[in-house]
Amino acid sequence: MPLDRRTFLKGSAAVAGAVAGTALPVIDRPVRAGRDYDVAKSLPVDRVVRTTCSPNCTGSCGQLAFVRDGIIVKIQQAADYPDTVYNPRGCMKGLSYINHIYGEDRIMTPLIRTGERGSGEFREATWDEVLDRVASEFRRIGEAYGWDSIHVFGQVPGSGYIQKGANYRASALLGMTHGTSFDFNGDLPMGMPITFGVQNSDHEAKDWANSRFLLVVGANPVETRIPDVHFLFDAVERGARMVVIDPVFSGTASKADAHIRIRPGTDAALGLALVHQILVDGLADLDFMRTYTDASLLVRTDTGRRLRQADLLGDDAEDRFVVWDEAARAPITIGTEKLGMPPGVVAALDGTFEVTLHDGTQVTVTPGFALVRAEVGRWTPEAAEAVTEIPAETIVRLARAYASEKPAAIFMGGGAFHWYHGDLVGRAFGLLATITGNIGRSGGGFSVYVGQYKVRVIVAPWWNPGGRKLKVVPSIYFLRGRTETMHPAVPYPEAGFKALFCSFSNMFIQSPDINRLHETLRELEFIVVADNQMTDTVAWADVVLPATTWYEKLDLTATPLHPFLQLQQAAIPPVGESRSELEMWREIVRRIDPGLAAEYFDVTEDDAIRMILEAGADPGGPTEGITLEQLREGPVRLNVPDPDIPFLRQIRDLEPFPPRSLPASLEATAAFLPTRRIEFYKEEDRFRELGETVPTYRDAYDDRVHDPAEWPFVLLSSHSKWRIHSTYSNNPWLAEIHGGRATVLIHPADAAERGIGEGDPIEMFNTRGSLVALAQLSDAARPGTATLAEGWWTRYFRSGKGVNELTSSVVNPIHEVHFVPNMWAPSTGWKDCRVQIRRAPEGVS
Amino acid sequence: MSATTIPAGAIRARLTARRPLVLWIGFLVLVMAAGGAAFLYQYANGLVVTGMRNTVMWGQYILFFMFFVGLSAGGLIVASAGRLFGVRLFKPITRLAVLAATVAVLLAAIFILPDLGRPERLLHIFLYPNFTSPMIWDIMIVIAYMAMSAFYVWLYVRADLARRGSWLAFGTGTSARALAREERLKSAMAWVALPAAILLHSITAWIFGLQISRGFWYSGIMAPMFITSALVSGLALVILLALVMRRLGRLRFGDELVAFLGGLLGIFIAVLFFLTAAEFLTAAYPGAPKAAAFERLLVGIYAPLFWFEVAIGLGVPFVILAIRPLRLNPVWVAAAAAIAILGIFVHRLNLILNGLSYATIQYPPGVSVGVDQGLGSSFALSHWYIPTAVEWLVVAGVLAFGALVFTVSVLILPMQEPADH
Amino acid sequence: MSEPKVSPIDALPAASRSYGEIGPRSASPHWGMVVDQERCIGCWSCAVICKSENDVPLGTWWNRILTQGDELDQPMEVRGGALEMDWMPLACQHCENAPCVKVCPVGATYYRDDGLVMQDNDRCIGCRYCMIACPYGVRTFNWGEPVRPTPHSTGMIEVRPVGTVEKCTMCVHRLAEDQVPSCVWSCPTGARVFGDLNDPASRVNELIREREGYELLKEAGTKPSVHYLPPRRKNEL
Repeated sequence: MPLDRRTFLKGSAAVAGAVAGTALPVIDRPVRAGRDYDVAKSLPVDRVVRTTCSPNCTGSCGQLAFVRDGIIVKIQQAADYPDTVYNPRGCMKGLSYINHIYGEDRIMTPLIRTGERGSGEFREATWDEVLDRVASEFRRIGEAYGWDSIHVFGQVPGSGYIQKGANYRASALLGMTHGTSFDFNGDLPMGMPITFGVQNSDHEAKDWANSRFLLVVGANPVETRIPDVHFLFDAVERGARMVVIDPVFSGTASKADAHIRIRPGTDAALGLALVHQILVDGLADLDFMRTYTDASLLVRTDTGRRLRQADLLGDDAEDRFVVWDEAARAPITIGTEKLGMPPGVVAALDGTFEVTLHDGTQVTVTPGFALVRAEVGRWTPEAAEAVTEIPAETIVRLARAYASEKPAAIFMGGGAFHWYHGDLVGRAFGLLATITGNIGRSGGGFSVYVGQYKVRVIVAPWWNPGGRKLKVVPSIYFLRGRTETMHPAVPYPEAGFKALFCSFSNMFIQSPDINRLHETLRELEFIVVADNQMTDTVAWADVVLPATTWYEKLDLTATPLHPFLQLQQAAIPPVGESRSELEMWREIVRRIDPGLAAEYFDVTEDDAIRMILEAGADPGGPTEGITLEQLREGPVRLNVPDPDIPFLRQIRDLEPFPPRSLPASLEATAAFLPTRRIEFYKEEDRFRELGETVPTYRDAYDDRVHDPAEWPFVLLSSHSKWRIHSTYSNNPWLAEIHGGRATVLIHPADAAERGIGEGDPIEMFNTRGSLVALAQLSDAARPGTATLAEGWWTRYFRSGKGVNELTSSVVNPIHEVHFVPNMWAPSTGWKDCRVQIRRAPEGVS
Repeated sequence: MSATTIPAGAIRARLTARRPLVLWIGFLVLVMAAGGAAFLYQYANGLVVTGMRNTVMWGQYILFFMFFVGLSAGGLIVASAGRLFGVRLFKPITRLAVLAATVAVLLAAIFILPDLGRPERLLHIFLYPNFTSPMIWDIMIVIAYMAMSAFYVWLYVRADLARRGSWLAFGTGTSARALAREERLKSAMAWVALPAAILLHSITAWIFGLQISRGFWYSGIMAPMFITSALVSGLALVILLALVMRRLGRLRFGDELVAFLGGLLGIFIAVLFFLTAAEFLTAAYPGAPKAAAFERLLVGIYAPLFWFEVAIGLGVPFVILAIRPLRLNPVWVAAAAAIAILGIFVHRLNLILNGLSYATIQYPPGVSVGVDQGLGSSFALSHWYIPTAVEWLVVAGVLAFGALVFTVSVLILPMQEPADH
Repeated sequence: MSEPKVSPIDALPAASRSYGEIGPRSASPHWGMVVDQERCIGCWSCAVICKSENDVPLGTWWNRILTQGDELDQPMEVRGGALEMDWMPLACQHCENAPCVKVCPVGATYYRDDGLVMQDNDRCIGCRYCMIACPYGVRTFNWGEPVRPTPHSTGMIEVRPVGTVEKCTMCVHRLAEDQVPSCVWSCPTGARVFGDLNDPASRVNELIREREGYELLKEAGTKPSVHYLPPRRKNEL
């Protein structure tokens, strides 16, 4: 018999007994037998409720709430997606949300301010008292200054079409202006509307696994796309390569085949150099360019505008454009109803041509691509090296690697485009993806996944009651007032802003250029904040409405990352006296106008969901065949292609660009692309004035000039894996892991120069403000960068209002050329600002 | 002794004469009460009131357990070695030595109690012993050793007690036959006690030395090292106590005994030096992972403690004892003994701290500390263990108890070996 | 609340329940786990759900994710100045030759027939010798009354008494209802695979073979039931 453990144990016991020379009783103890208590089952529960985790993170992860004695005792992923590759979906933040439902910071009752604004001094009040107060103040301000002077601000409608929709519904009914989030957050990748005419383009997450080459640019999915990042690993397991472009060594960089450290803010130069090398190597798919883009459309060299049929024939065909047919050696006009070229036409992509206009003038024209190529031609790998500080040789190798693998995906994050000139970064990489034929192709594409912006259902009947139009003002104008270049279609209130209803947002620390926002706040006569946590923003409210968490209400959600429509379902009754947004607005509107309330707010969440489902139930509609009853059982796939990737119909069926971006009308966004093709040449006046007709590179821009000599650090306010913006800042379980103190990541050499040691309190400042946080030194940092992940509440700093003391809120006029809220609107540049760092003065440490 | 007609003045005189003793005992009782209260407080709140955490999970209590096991070595050397190797010189202090050993091992056993998270389950050790555990071996040997020492003490004082007619003689007499039997028993005990002592220190060493998870401890030299350090501290304690007792007029012996013991102590210290050097060279020479723990002692965070141990705790006594004129002076020998005891204490402290305070796997963030840290990481790669007031009070209480037992014992038991018989 | 109580496993939606089922095993299984370091992203989801599932109080973690780098989530410099970082989730390794079982003076730590190393908190005397013996630092002591961020207990098992040692149980209460441990369920990247090490055809054994699985601190001879798959070698650009 072999000596197994049991016999060994018995033997050694005997030996030990002999050694000790005593005769203590040896109790016959079952060494390996299970005992009754260790096979006990889980403690029983009342029920398990299927719902959806819905912070502002784009995850939209199905969760199960385990309820015992009316209390949620565990939250765990539902893992019930019919497309099982999506299981389990969910991260440590959602799993620890229990601490926010029942934690110390939960707001339990309505509050009315008793101290100074910002002091956080309140008294408890009844719902009747606060609702009366809100209604009477709104009526007073509405009547005195106009209802549009009341600004309603909330975040990311995708995380709750019904409850966040209630904010829209009330705004539309009362004529209040509603703010924006996607553009205000800087998450709107302006390169997308400029190039592709869409709000954004993103492949559903599972499609990453189909890629052969993953170019991750300024994104950190390992830390910020936790539920989906495994699809990248799936691709890698199947042989794909992954390259990460990031100034800082990130979690994602640790998983990559190569990590390329770029100088912050110079991604556009890299993108252009990659295109340059691909053209040099003859790896470009020029037919793809001819078929789907404006490459061959002729541009007048005299005006910089496109040559139109109207120019040639004197008719009114402003929407017919002209190409040079090399076969016929003549200009040919083409329409916008279909992509591609007329049969037999070989459209020129190069050269200059003389054409005679209908009035007889001779003008020189050239294909748009020739202009693009001229700019790209400047961006040799060597030229790009000078800007990006990436060795030219690396750029060449990257270009060849990317262009020789098909399909190849570009995965871009805020690190690359959260810049004043982020639109140019998007345009350069849009060009890269297009010139290699990776658009509209499974496993390819140019995707940006920042913000749960996406409206995937027909929300109009709920958001626009009785067809009322919503007045949407980009919140950047709320923050800093109107700009000279503001688009005239923006419904900016004549009397300015006088009141704010802030719903589920920590905007008073999370907005850019925070001290500028606080100047605006001083002008406000009334501030209402609805939230469930005692945030910094709540501390500035006049009236606080205790709100439910997403475990205490019913809502409908969807995300860009996966195509499943899901419900939030109440697992428990509202904690304390909290109420949902729908309940709040029903009561507020009733107090202002009982008639309106009776007509439009006498509805339940069920009614609202049914409205939305029905509106999209037409054949081909997003919610075709989906019922509320199905949704109660679990996630239901929207009526979208599988895999769900953008531009399929454009690429496959030659349908003109752009596809519709909900909830805007197609007409509204089609105006972004007069050619109805992918546009790399922009002819609008402002592009020409600013010299940005074609993709190019511009240095970082900050309206307060911060000379690098004086302000040596680029401040990178990245997203943290421990938070969703400022949500979860106060989560005790997570704080146990990361330490619960705001830290600034800097390079040891930069620290040594300043006599800063690991963990020292340091002051980071520029001309806007200053803050004190703790130094974290690591080679992960690029010299000259300071990384302070955004989202920390002020109480986790030694001093200051947080990272947005330092950030810029300047508006890029290119973003004001058109106006469709959240689609072509001012997108903030968070990362252009520069700072200086020194050891914190004595006293603050 | 009868207490019938003693004049009042005599009583007063007697009380006055005994005042220091009364004060001393009162003080000890007070400290014990404080220690007891601290123990109850700890029992009610859990070990969270100590400085221990998951990172340094054994602290002051185990340190004192180890230390007192070591202190108990002196009695046996003096008693057994004296008898086995015929060193007659030890005779005057033999009783004191075995009494000290008994009290020391008793205290060692008591120190285990406050270290347990569930002291009320102490009985589980006897109900469900797991014989693969060195701790069970150790508990058995501690109990055996304690019994043996107590018997040894009795054996030495039995005849005197019998002469006094004390019940503590348990009916044994002083006939020639009884005395002869006593001598035989003493010889037999010497043969049993010496291996028992070696086993006691070895097994205590193996509690630590068999743990592969603790690189600093996992060494074959652990048992010899424990025996040697026990010899140093045990002998030093006997020297000190003997000199104190002589000073108090309760013991008579000549300075040549002090010099002899001092010389012996010097030799033990030299052996400890040798073992330490051998261990450090073996561990540090390859520059392998195990070297990190040794580096911490040689030049790292524990270097001050280590060099205190080596240079002052052991070096200074060795030098004193190596110099003949100093060795012949009891004051110098007493000083050397006191310093050596301190040195061994620091030696044990280093063993605990350096063995435990760094997580075995040195990847951040480390080991979960086990206690809510408020705002801040609840993980640590290392831990700077500082005993709390509660631990100090409990230790003080146990020490006071030991001092009380010793005091009462020397009051009751005849400590002076009869001049000759 | 007078709702009748049900097993949380029985109350799962059907799709969720089948997601968590353990699957095939041999007649006499030895439970084990494989942790894929290529897939681990250091997100601590497994650690957090462990905390929730088992009502582990503040300050204590049965399961944690070490960074093989200079500090939490920061890389270290390797030869040639390159930076590298990997994550190593670490909980009880359920060793076949467990140092903790050997040293426990009262047999409160013991083996189950299915290979799990268990802790009997009713027998434990709180001497913490097992914590000394464990080379992985995965055992933790209940130093005081449990402190939680919520006003009530959480999770699916009773909290353990003060003054005793606790650790990962491989969610033995879930295994009893044929469900994988919670950390396996909740890993968003599929870095954890649970199964029967006695079944040569099991997925865990397959992965250990194919991916050259290794044991943590193999030199300690503890024979863990948890195996690690090393991170892949990176191709340069």
